[in-house]
Amino acid sequence: MSRRAGTAALLAALLLAALFPLAVARPAWQNTAILMLMAAQLGVAWNILGGYAGQVSLGHAAFFGTGAYVSSLLSMRLGLSPWLGMLAGALVASAFAVVVGWPCFRLKGHYFAMATIAVVEIVQAVVNGWERLGGAVGLYLPLAETGFGGFVFNRSKLPYYYIALALLVLTLAVNWLVARSRTGYYLRAIKDEPDAARSLGVSLTRYKLQAIALSAALAAMGGTLYAQKELFIDPGSTLSTSLSIKMSLVAILGGVGTLFGPVIGAAVLTAVEEGSRVIFGGTGRGTDLVVYGLLIVLFAVYQPAGIMGWITGRWLGPRAERPEEEP
Amino acid sequence: MIRLARAASLLAALCLAAPAAAQEEVRIGVIYPLTGAAASTGLELKNAAQLAADLINGTDKSLGLALAGAGGLPNLHHAKLKLIFADHQGNPQVGASEAERLITQEKVVALGGCYFSSVTATASQTAERYGIPFVNGESSAPNLTQRGFKWFFRTTPHDELFVRNSFEFLKDLEKRKGVQVKRIAILAENTEFGTGAAALQEKFARENGYEVVAKVLYPPKSAQLTSEVQKLKAARPDVVMQSSYLGDAILSVKTYKDLGFLPTALVANDAGFNDSEFLKTVGKDGNGIISREVWALDLAAQKPVIAKANALLQARHHVNFNGNSARAFTAIFALADAINRAGSTKPEAIQKALRETNIPGDQLIMPWAGIQYDATGQNKLGAGIIVQVQDGKYVTVWPFALASKDVAWPLPAWDKR
Repeated sequence: MSRRAGTAALLAALLLAALFPLAVARPAWQNTAILMLMAAQLGVAWNILGGYAGQVSLGHAAFFGTGAYVSSLLSMRLGLSPWLGMLAGALVASAFAVVVGWPCFRLKGHYFAMATIAVVEIVQAVVNGWERLGGAVGLYLPLAETGFGGFVFNRSKLPYYYIALALLVLTLAVNWLVARSRTGYYLRAIKDEPDAARSLGVSLTRYKLQAIALSAALAAMGGTLYAQKELFIDPGSTLSTSLSIKMSLVAILGGVGTLFGPVIGAAVLTAVEEGSRVIFGGTGRGTDLVVYGLLIVLFAVYQPAGIMGWITGRWLGPRAERPEEEP
Repeated sequence: MIRLARAASLLAALCLAAPAAAQEEVRIGVIYPLTGAAASTGLELKNAAQLAADLINGTDKSLGLALAGAGGLPNLHHAKLKLIFADHQGNPQVGASEAERLITQEKVVALGGCYFSSVTATASQTAERYGIPFVNGESSAPNLTQRGFKWFFRTTPHDELFVRNSFEFLKDLEKRKGVQVKRIAILAENTEFGTGAAALQEKFARENGYEVVAKVLYPPKSAQLTSEVQKLKAARPDVVMQSSYLGDAILSVKTYKDLGFLPTALVANDAGFNDSEFLKTVGKDGNGIISREVWALDLAAQKPVIAKANALLQARHHVNFNGNSARAFTAIFALADAINRAGSTKPEAIQKALRETNIPGDQLIMPWAGIQYDATGQNKLGAGIIVQVQDGKYVTVWPFALASKDVAWPLPAWDKR
């Protein structure tokens, strides 16, 4: 695909996304679309660390939850606007990411992933027992329409939709800038040949820490959006390993290390999740989860490069499929 | 021309028929955990709710509850109740999504569920946003009715009252039977339900002059509880107060037995201990366990309607009612009563009727004085009971006025059950 065609396709997709809720008035469908955008945003944020730098984190819910808790607590206790809370949450999550990244990056591959699971489990345990943070009961945010300044919208879902879309675009832009920057090349070098990168003078820890800080900040912003949309957060829903796994699943299903892979992954995964639950959920037989699981198994076995890998391989010629394998 | 006239008359007939057709069905959304760790409980709740709806829709009046056998809601031209079930998987976000789908796509006029307090929190928010009545029958987190919601009603008493019941029971027991309780240990799962209950137990224990010798929280669905039980054992409590869901409740009893831990009494806080699966799995090891409950089958001695309702559930699903399913059943009756009195499916009319609810105790399969909501939407006439497993069955042991058996105290040794 030529560059110009790519830009045109991108603009068309953006326009389509912007017009979607105007064309589809059903709140339940709009809600599904918002869930897709939120999942995509988290997948793209995860991708900075997990995709480009190749550090598979299964603890990103810790950063997501940090964002949700920081903004919620600041708005509930100090009356701070959740928008400022979102920035504060991003900063706190970044700092926290650096603190946990420092020791965790001493581990490689599966061991790193396991350490990140431990991080999110520890954070969940701590918040569960911390009364001032609402403990296990969680925090109930006031349900009152406050408009744009207060970030609570009861009458329409559109504001949530556009905020989620804007956040996704921002996250994609950051991802794109990182991928094209010197840091981006370093990260890919670290992923593919860490020893070679180090021998050329690339500080592994420094660039991994940059990646995790950025990735955590964006995930935290997603957390604030979740809190403002659901208006209830508790450790079980915002600091769970299953949420961490979903973030990585979105990216892996869509295509790790590609810009739009997580977006496609999120669309497919959310559609399967919501669709199968609507069709089979009321029966209580768990059919929806079987479909969901089957899809993941099929992709893991037949298309490990994800949906994006399949699309590029199928339509953009074999050259684009596995460029790294060419001589 | 004749054709046109025919078409016109047909159209007119259709228009006339439309309002009547619309009244034939009152759609109610009910959200339960139908998959995941609590799926078996969710299915019980679903079956009980469906039984309630079918009884109201049917014509068999033998049960003796006002609406049972009414053939639909009398004030709405005998419109039938149609329950539309949804699965929240124990996830608050899914609960909110499903509530929204039920309201906007399925056009339900009221919502019920969700068993999990955390999911009830978000699903009821969605109902509040849309102005749709939400009747919760089985979530007991106290703060659910402290949010100032106008559309949220709860039939069950909440944890604070239930926990207080456990201490009233201990005090009564000390007076009546002269037993000595000094040291209390608390074991609870560390999510909303468990920590909330543990904090209240700690508070009431202090207020009642007991010593809290250990407070152990554990993550739900633990693979093992060995270290937690060792901590309890080391604290040498007289009474263990425990709040656990099903899987953990079973695991903890096995661990107590394996480690030879035998307090004077185990006073559980409902949930997993009162699940039908619990006694099936632990068998004789369950004997002697005390639990606070909202319901027990032997209350039928005081209320024959309980035996009749239970026979109906037995005929269908081959299980007895338990505290959860009896409450799910009751919530549907309470909601149907309000919709019937409203004589309309308009949300405002149902909301008004709910506020005016006044169901006497003899119209319930619960041991309550009745259902009347206070300004926060909380039923103020609810009360709990205390049950004990004796010979493989739950029997009511407190309040003494409703008891069918005497309390067995202390716990029998593990090898003598």
